[in-house]
Amino acid sequence: MEIIKTAVAGTLESSDCMVTIEPAQRGLEIDLDSAVIRQYGKRIMEVASETLDRLGVQNARVTIVDKGALDCTIKARVECAAMRAVEHDGRVNWGGVIR
Amino acid sequence: MGIAVYSTPLTKRQQQEYLRLLDSCDLRDEGDADIIALATDDDGSLVGCGALAGNTVKQLAVSQDAEGQGIMASILSSLISEAYAMGRHRLFLCTKPDNSRMFSSMGFYPVIETGDALLMENRRDGFESFIDSIPRYTGVCGAVVCNCDPFTLGHRHLIRYAASRCDNLYVFAVSERGSMFEPAVRLEMIRRGTADIPFCHVFESDLYLVSRATFPAYFIRDEERADLVRSDLDIELFAKRIAPALNITIRFAGEEPFSAVTRAYNERMKELLPSYGITFEEIPRLQGISAGKVRDLIAEGEIGKIREMVPESTYEIIQRQPGSGPACP
Repeated sequence: MEIIKTAVAGTLESSDCMVTIEPAQRGLEIDLDSAVIRQYGKRIMEVASETLDRLGVQNARVTIVDKGALDCTIKARVECAAMRAVEHDGRVNWGGVIR
Repeated sequence: MGIAVYSTPLTKRQQQEYLRLLDSCDLRDEGDADIIALATDDDGSLVGCGALAGNTVKQLAVSQDAEGQGIMASILSSLISEAYAMGRHRLFLCTKPDNSRMFSSMGFYPVIETGDALLMENRRDGFESFIDSIPRYTGVCGAVVCNCDPFTLGHRHLIRYAASRCDNLYVFAVSERGSMFEPAVRLEMIRRGTADIPFCHVFESDLYLVSRATFPAYFIRDEERADLVRSDLDIELFAKRIAPALNITIRFAGEEPFSAVTRAYNERMKELLPSYGITFEEIPRLQGISAGKVRDLIAEGEIGKIREMVPESTYEIIQRQPGSGPACP
C-alpha cells in the first residue's frame, strides 16, 4: 500500500488517539506522543507497526498523539488514516488486511 | 456538548457570544479566520471556540465554568481535521503561555514564547529542520527579510547596501502566500535580481519569518488598526532562535513611508533587537519606487511603465506570468 497523500484520523479526546500518515521515501518512521509512554509506549508502537505491516505500508511517516487509547482504537485509527492516505475507494476488504 | 465548524460568517448572535467568550479569556478576534469552530452546551450557549487562519490555529478559548470536560480537545480535533481536509498539514497554534502544557499533550511543540503569546507547531523537528537547512557563513552576518511582491530596484538597492555593510548577507524571501506573486515566483525574482551581488545568499523564510503564524497583521493589512499590531512573536523568534543559530548581528529594513503596519513592525524591531545584541538598521528608500506602485500599474495593464522601477530579470518574469500582458481589446 503506497501512501500518496497526508491524511489524519482520530481525535485528541480522552481514550482516543490522532494518527497522521504522510508519504515518505525510505521506510517507516513512527513518532509517538503519549502521557502513558513509559507504561504503554512500546505496546502502542507494536500495535501501530503490526497494523501498518498488515496493510502493506512500507514507506510512511506516522505521527501518533495518544490520549490513552486502547489497542483496538489505535489499530482502527491507523487503518483509517492509511485508507485515507491512499485515497481508498471505500470498498474495504473486511477479514482480509482489515480484520 | 456539540461542535460545529463554520466557514461562512457567523450569525449576529453567534458572533456576539464568540467575541464575548474571547474577551473573557483576554483574547481578541484578529479577523482573519478561514474557519471558526464553536462548541455549545445542551442549552445552546457557547462554551468554547477556536479558529483556523491559514496554517494557524488560534483564538482557542473555553469558558471558565466549562473547563475540565475535554472541550478544548474536541475543538482542536475538529479544527485539525478541517485543516487536513483543506490540504493544510503543517500547522501552527497560537495561545497564551499558560496553556503550554495542555497543547504539548495534544501534539504541538513550542516554537517561541513572548510575555503574552506562545507559538507552537505540530512537528517535533519543524523549526530545527528549517534552521538546519540553511548554510552557516562566517564573519559579520546580516539579514534582510522581504516579501518583494514584486522585486523592484528599491529592494535591490536595500540588499546591495546591506551586503556592503557585512561579510555575508542572508536574504529571506517571505514564503507565505497572499501576495500578487506566488512565493516561488518572488523567490526567483530575488535570486535573479541579486545574483551579481557578492556574499548575498537568498533563502525561503519557510513559515518562521513574516508568516501568518508569526505576524498575522502583515497579511491582514488593516492599516487603520496598525497601533494594535503585534509582531513580537516574529521579532523574538528571529532574535532568540534564528539570529543566534546563523550568527546574524544586523537586521536591515527599508524605511516605510506607506504602510502603517510595516512601519509599526520596523519601530518594534528598533525597540527589541538591540536587547538581543542585534543592530537594527533602517535604510532610506529609493525615491519614487515602490512594489505597491508596480502592482497598481500591472493591475491597470500598464506593464511597460514598470520597466524603470524593476530589474530586467523581474520584468522578464512578470511578462512570463499568465494574465500579466496588456488587456485584450
